[in-house]
Amino acid sequence: MKTPVIKGQSAAGRKNTLFVKKRPAGTICVPGRFLPLLFAVMTFCSFANAATESNDSVVRQLLAKTLLSEDAEQQTNLSQLADTGSKLVREVLTAWTRDGVYILETNDAKIPVLLEDQTDADGKSRAIRIADGQFLKDDKGQELKFASIDLTSAETDMKLRGAIQQVLDSLALSDPSPEVRRSAILKMGNSGKEKNIPVLQARQEKEANADVKKSLNESIALLQLNSSDAGVQISAMRKLASINSIGSLDNLKHLATGSNLNPSVLHETKIAIAAIEQHIWWVNFWGTIFRGLSLGSILLVVALGLAITFGLMGVINMAHGEMIAVGAYTCYVTQNIFGSGFGFTVNLPFSVGARQLGFGMHLPGLNATGWFYESYFLFALPLSFITAALAGMVIERTVIRFLYRRPLESLLATWGISLVMQQCFRMVFGANNVQVNSPSWMLGHFSANDVLFGYNRVFVIAFAIVIVIGTWLLLTKTSLGLLIRAVMQNRNMASCVGVRTDRVNMMTFAFGSGLAGLAGSFLSQIGNVGPSMGQDHIVNAFMTVVVGGVGSIVGTVYSAVSVGTGDQVLQQTTGSPVAGKIIMLVLIILFLQWKPGGLFATRSRNLD
Amino acid sequence: MRRQATNLELWSVAIVAFVMIIVLPALNATPPGSFLHVSNFTINLYGKYLCYGLLAISVDLLWGYTGLLSLGQALFFTLGGYMMGMHLMRMIGDLGQYHKPIPDFLVFLGWNSLPAFWKPFGSFSFALLMVLLLPGMLALLFGFLAFRSRIRGVYFSILTQALTYAAMLLFFRNSLLMGGNNGFTDFKFIFGYDLREPATQRGLYIVTALTVLLAYLGCRWLSRTKFGLVQQAIRDSENRVLFSGYAAGNYKLFVFVLAALIGSIGGMLFVPQVGIINPSEMGPDKSLEAVVWVAVGGRGTLIGPILGAFGVNAFKSWATRAYPDLWQILLGALFVFVTLFMPKGLVGVPEQLRGLKKRFDARHNKTKTKLAVSVNASTEELAKTE
Repeated sequence: MKTPVIKGQSAAGRKNTLFVKKRPAGTICVPGRFLPLLFAVMTFCSFANAATESNDSVVRQLLAKTLLSEDAEQQTNLSQLADTGSKLVREVLTAWTRDGVYILETNDAKIPVLLEDQTDADGKSRAIRIADGQFLKDDKGQELKFASIDLTSAETDMKLRGAIQQVLDSLALSDPSPEVRRSAILKMGNSGKEKNIPVLQARQEKEANADVKKSLNESIALLQLNSSDAGVQISAMRKLASINSIGSLDNLKHLATGSNLNPSVLHETKIAIAAIEQHIWWVNFWGTIFRGLSLGSILLVVALGLAITFGLMGVINMAHGEMIAVGAYTCYVTQNIFGSGFGFTVNLPFSVGARQLGFGMHLPGLNATGWFYESYFLFALPLSFITAALAGMVIERTVIRFLYRRPLESLLATWGISLVMQQCFRMVFGANNVQVNSPSWMLGHFSANDVLFGYNRVFVIAFAIVIVIGTWLLLTKTSLGLLIRAVMQNRNMASCVGVRTDRVNMMTFAFGSGLAGLAGSFLSQIGNVGPSMGQDHIVNAFMTVVVGGVGSIVGTVYSAVSVGTGDQVLQQTTGSPVAGKIIMLVLIILFLQWKPGGLFATRSRNLD
Repeated sequence: MRRQATNLELWSVAIVAFVMIIVLPALNATPPGSFLHVSNFTINLYGKYLCYGLLAISVDLLWGYTGLLSLGQALFFTLGGYMMGMHLMRMIGDLGQYHKPIPDFLVFLGWNSLPAFWKPFGSFSFALLMVLLLPGMLALLFGFLAFRSRIRGVYFSILTQALTYAAMLLFFRNSLLMGGNNGFTDFKFIFGYDLREPATQRGLYIVTALTVLLAYLGCRWLSRTKFGLVQQAIRDSENRVLFSGYAAGNYKLFVFVLAALIGSIGGMLFVPQVGIINPSEMGPDKSLEAVVWVAVGGRGTLIGPILGAFGVNAFKSWATRAYPDLWQILLGALFVFVTLFMPKGLVGVPEQLRGLKKRFDARHNKTKTKLAVSVNASTEELAKTE
């Protein structure tokens, strides 16, 4: 076996490197000749200041010793390193396998070093001594710099790399992070090497985390599948089936196709496969239901505002999508104000004399960081409601109030408004999508019994529930709600008994638009924010309201949830999102044959 | 009075038709650079507008005459276009990028021979049949379902919108073998004539203009028959029509299919002139645009839609060139303005002005009569005292 140490190394020199810290740095002088070797830059800046921990120095010296030792001694040193569980060891060993550790030859010693990531203009960088984590310095205390191609890297061969990898694997087994432990365990489980079983079993006794324990069980059973003893195989299969190990399905299937299999083992394999496949079916089923619910909630949030402006007020509001975009852009602006600020300038193609007309605005940023920055979304929610409601109020006062008696024509006017608004977004925010970052507490997911629940999807469901309850309370428990219902049922009669229908109309439209704004701020977290984002939702929103029954908020809730779930189920069964959508639309058209008034048709003696 | 207006309308239509069908192509045929020459670009542009005019007539037949606001009329237009496009794709022969006897996109998708449903499109008469049959059958099926369950008003609008949206999603899929995203383009020949030749384009333009004239006259005739009267009665009060014993659903179904056919023919003429057809033409916004043309031109008339299609598209062409950043705002503002202040569209403007004048005159006369009355009264009083 070749050693990483250059021949002629004296025991004294080796000893010296162990205590190199005690020597004055200036005594090192660098030999003028280096062997150009493999080019590899793999260094860690953290080494320079990591030497403070006391435990660290022992580990470091052990590392240096390992690097310079040979054969059997090196093996023992390596196995000692495995027990340290140190992150440092992992980093150095990884660098070693990639030829990133260098041996610096001096007159009387060999010093293992790492090179810093940062290189200067000549492509040289500072060297970090592994034994103590300090930078190498010359006699005058000047830091020495090297180019990686001028240095000799510590050599490795197949066998040594195998040994190092084993150390790395067992290091990962004792890693403080459960996630790293789990992935290491699963990797060992899938390795198919039976010699890993005792290692895993040893870990099993020490492990406290339930998830990791489950992975340990799974991995041990997986490895035991390859056993030559039929009894061990069968018990391993039963175990895999009992813990519903999805990862073992391929192994089991492979096993089942194998020849000269013991009939009882084959029988057991089939049982295990069936059990796991059933589990997968359930996981998919609950996953589909969950995704359907979250899609339904998105539809609901988007359609609820429309259920008010279109369903209750009868305005065919094609600008509803743009109200959603107003909410999303409010979210974007709020985010930027919490960050570095927001500004824009718009130049109009007109000029007065030499002066070109245009307008612009600049809002200074709070430059917030950390949790304060991430809380921007909590401020963005009410703000998006308010801006969209104000926009809705303006539209209602200037255009829509003249069109209550001509509902089909309100479609044209609101479509015109939607064109104008889209272009305004384009001028202010640019034609491309803008970036809205989700707060970290909305990213990630948790899993229950292999079903993944994304936090943002959980949040959208909760959010939809809150909005529906809020709307219901407003419409049924407040005096404004009473007035809204009265005016929507019979505008003239309400006016006769002294309701200020004008104001109620305005408030209702503003409320519906505000709900659209809320939907927009939410959509900004899960989809794209762009000038035409509203167009992606408008058809679905109208369908949802129509299926639910125009004028019925409860109907909208039911229809959103069933359309969302149906869409996901169809996507799952057809295997194509677009085909699922098309079938859903056709189903809706057929459904309206059966119930032309939607799920909750408003009963009336009026024929029109 | 009524007859006068009718005569005026017919005469103006005749003059415009003469100019559009005979004078413009003749001027286009003059050598380029001559004082009277009308450019190929203009002819091509007008041809496109006229196709839009057909789409607008089909919307108006439904909305203006029957009270059915269809938000999916562009679907039939595009379907007609696709059927024609399939024929034109076959006419490319092996002149495509890959020099294979099948359309390029099929080669790209890994096909070696023509799929079965593409084969008959080599013949124009089959393509023409499909232009009429496919949109017609779709309209018949959808209309049958919709009118049977008495879906009306806004419900009908939203459903037609969903229909065109679903069709758009379908046509975006490559697996439909209809060109996917890119649709059909790079056409070369029609009846053996080169599509890039000005003479071919001129011929197509004349055919389009004649078709528009025919559609106008046909719809005009229809609206004056008993059928047309029932149709308009349905628009005004469907329940009364039902109670009078008419099967309003059947009338609506007939009009819906007829409108789909007119739209489809428009699409068929559109494709060779514009040279491209793709699924975005089916988008809900395209159908909405067609409704806007009708609203701007004046619904419930037959000149209105053609005028609107011409006017709005010409305005759009101008605005996109003059104010590339603002044209959408201008267009949107125009729609809002028309809906608020011109409920009868461009065609209704003279009547609106007449109404304004009448009101102004009435107010003016009232003050005059009041004065006259008071003068009379005072003279009477004088007479009494005497």
